Amino acid sequence: MNLLFAVVIGVLFGSGVFLLLKPDLFRVVTGIVLVSNAANLTLMASGLTRGEAPIQPVAEGGQVADPLVQAMTLTALVIGFAVTAVLLALAVGVYRARHSVDLDELSRQEAEEAAAEEARERAHDEERELEAADDQARRHDEALR
Amino acid sequence: MSLIAVPLLILWPAAIVLALLDGRRRGPGLLAVGTLAVSFVVLAVLLGHVAASGPQELVAGGWAADVGIRLRVDALGAAFAVLSCGVLLASLAQAVVTGVQARATPALTLFMALGLTGLFVTGDVFSFYVFFELAMIAAYSLTGATGEGQRIGAAFIFAVVNLIGSFLFLIVIGALYRATGTLEMVAIAERAATIDPNTAILIAVAFFVAFGIKLGLFPFHFWLPSVYLAVSPHVAAMFAGALANIGAYGLLRFGGALLPKELELGATALIAIGSVSIAYGALQAIARRDTREVLAYSSIGHAGYVLVALGLGGPVGLAAAVIFSVANALNKTLLFLASELRGRLMATAFLIGILSVAGVPPTAGFFGKAALFEAGIDAGSIATVVLLFAGGALSFVYLFQIYQHDRWRPREERERRMPIRSASRGQRAVTLLVAAVVLVLGLWPEPLLALGEQAAGDLAAMGRAR
Repeated sequence: MNLLFAVVIGVLFGSGVFLLLKPDLFRVVTGIVLVSNAANLTLMASGLTRGEAPIQPVAEGGQVADPLVQAMTLTALVIGFAVTAVLLALAVGVYRARHSVDLDELSRQEAEEAAAEEARERAHDEERELEAADDQARRHDEALR
Repeated sequence: MSLIAVPLLILWPAAIVLALLDGRRRGPGLLAVGTLAVSFVVLAVLLGHVAASGPQELVAGGWAADVGIRLRVDALGAAFAVLSCGVLLASLAQAVVTGVQARATPALTLFMALGLTGLFVTGDVFSFYVFFELAMIAAYSLTGATGEGQRIGAAFIFAVVNLIGSFLFLIVIGALYRATGTLEMVAIAERAATIDPNTAILIAVAFFVAFGIKLGLFPFHFWLPSVYLAVSPHVAAMFAGALANIGAYGLLRFGGALLPKELELGATALIAIGSVSIAYGALQAIARRDTREVLAYSSIGHAGYVLVALGLGGPVGLAAAVIFSVANALNKTLLFLASELRGRLMATAFLIGILSVAGVPPTAGFFGKAALFEAGIDAGSIATVVLLFAGGALSFVYLFQIYQHDRWRPREERERRMPIRSASRGQRAVTLLVAAVVLVLGLWPEPLLALGEQAAGDLAAMGRAR
């Protein structure tokens, strides 16, 4: 049983990481969902016990299943659900701003913008330098006169 | 009733109410600031109690001690809670007097304060995770909501990278539960010595990676600069001054108190990674010109100092990590808040921040650095002392570079580069208040130093409690 859990968790985590590395925002979100479920399954597996349901009254001396891991997993599931919602909202926000969900395309756009910004700064600096040179030349002329 | 639960019970309903209101209006903004101020005062009183009479406990819901969730606050938790709440208070006040841009900002700030306060006062590993995730989700949403439309991609990457850290943390909680059979921190600390050594090392490494991602340490830092660039200065102040505390606190709590043997075992690795982090952060920061980018890389460097202090270990090293974290959080808050404000007073406030980061007295940063030096000398490690000195000198260089770049320029050029409204009276008041705190802690450091020592003592005592 332990081996089965380990294999399933490994496959889930591996597929999740594989999707995380894809250059597509929605696949990345799916990858996060898979990784989150791998974590949930680990939590379940960490307290695997066979026994009766832990509801009072329990039989004397009988084995009782561990209820704590189930409570934890339930909480973690809800958190994972909320996180997925936030991620999807962010992905939609990115799509609205950029009209693309392709990460390569997004970073290309960002690089272009940064380059444009830099070019603008440089143009401004050069303009200022030219102005300063003009200024100096004029002052030089005046001094000569 | 103990005071532990009070801040949570104040923040939670207020955050929910504020989520329904339009945070851009004056009223809700002031309500949020007021709520944070009240919980800050309560936490400060709680810190006073803890400092006077040791760790305090409360089992939630009146359950029996081993059934209910235990809230437990010692000097370390109380100090970080007061610090984070204060930083959030100052940042939110700054945002409100500047004019809030996104409707959810006050509510999200309160949720972040709730999550942070909760994780600093909980004595249970799983509720630590829940509060931690609450604070992180608030941070992702805050980045997405206030980030300029073009930079929302940074929020996405921030969320994805940190979520991997969170799920790793969740997995390792499962492992810890399997190995010790409990979720209570005190009980885990007692039973840690009985864990199979191989398992314990795996658990410790996974914790380190999870908190390293939060703290923005060198190999896990790549998300940090783009996030700090994408958000407004007061949100960046919240992240650098409050949210980054999770990483430092987590390393101290899980390394220093729960798994002290494994911490000792990994000391050399910690010092090595910390040194690389310091060097990398400082060198990257020197190469940048944009104020926020420099501060972001400087945060990566300063995370390294915490790690080095942790690696040096012992009561002196742990105390140094606490004192440095507190001073560093205040410095970063001050620098971010003052970074885009103009005027003579704001330049002075920024300068105080620079001097504090470089560790020049009389500022809080001096005692942070002094504690680190003390830990280095105590451990007899000359290389560490040299490293600390070089790191301090480099931070002085890059911060003065941006000071010069931003403020020592012809007026028109400066205006083009820093398109800023001149600071209003409210903005000036908030920033100067933070600067005053940095100065007061530098002039009267005894409470901070005593707190650091007590926190280190509480950490070491955790495994030996009961």
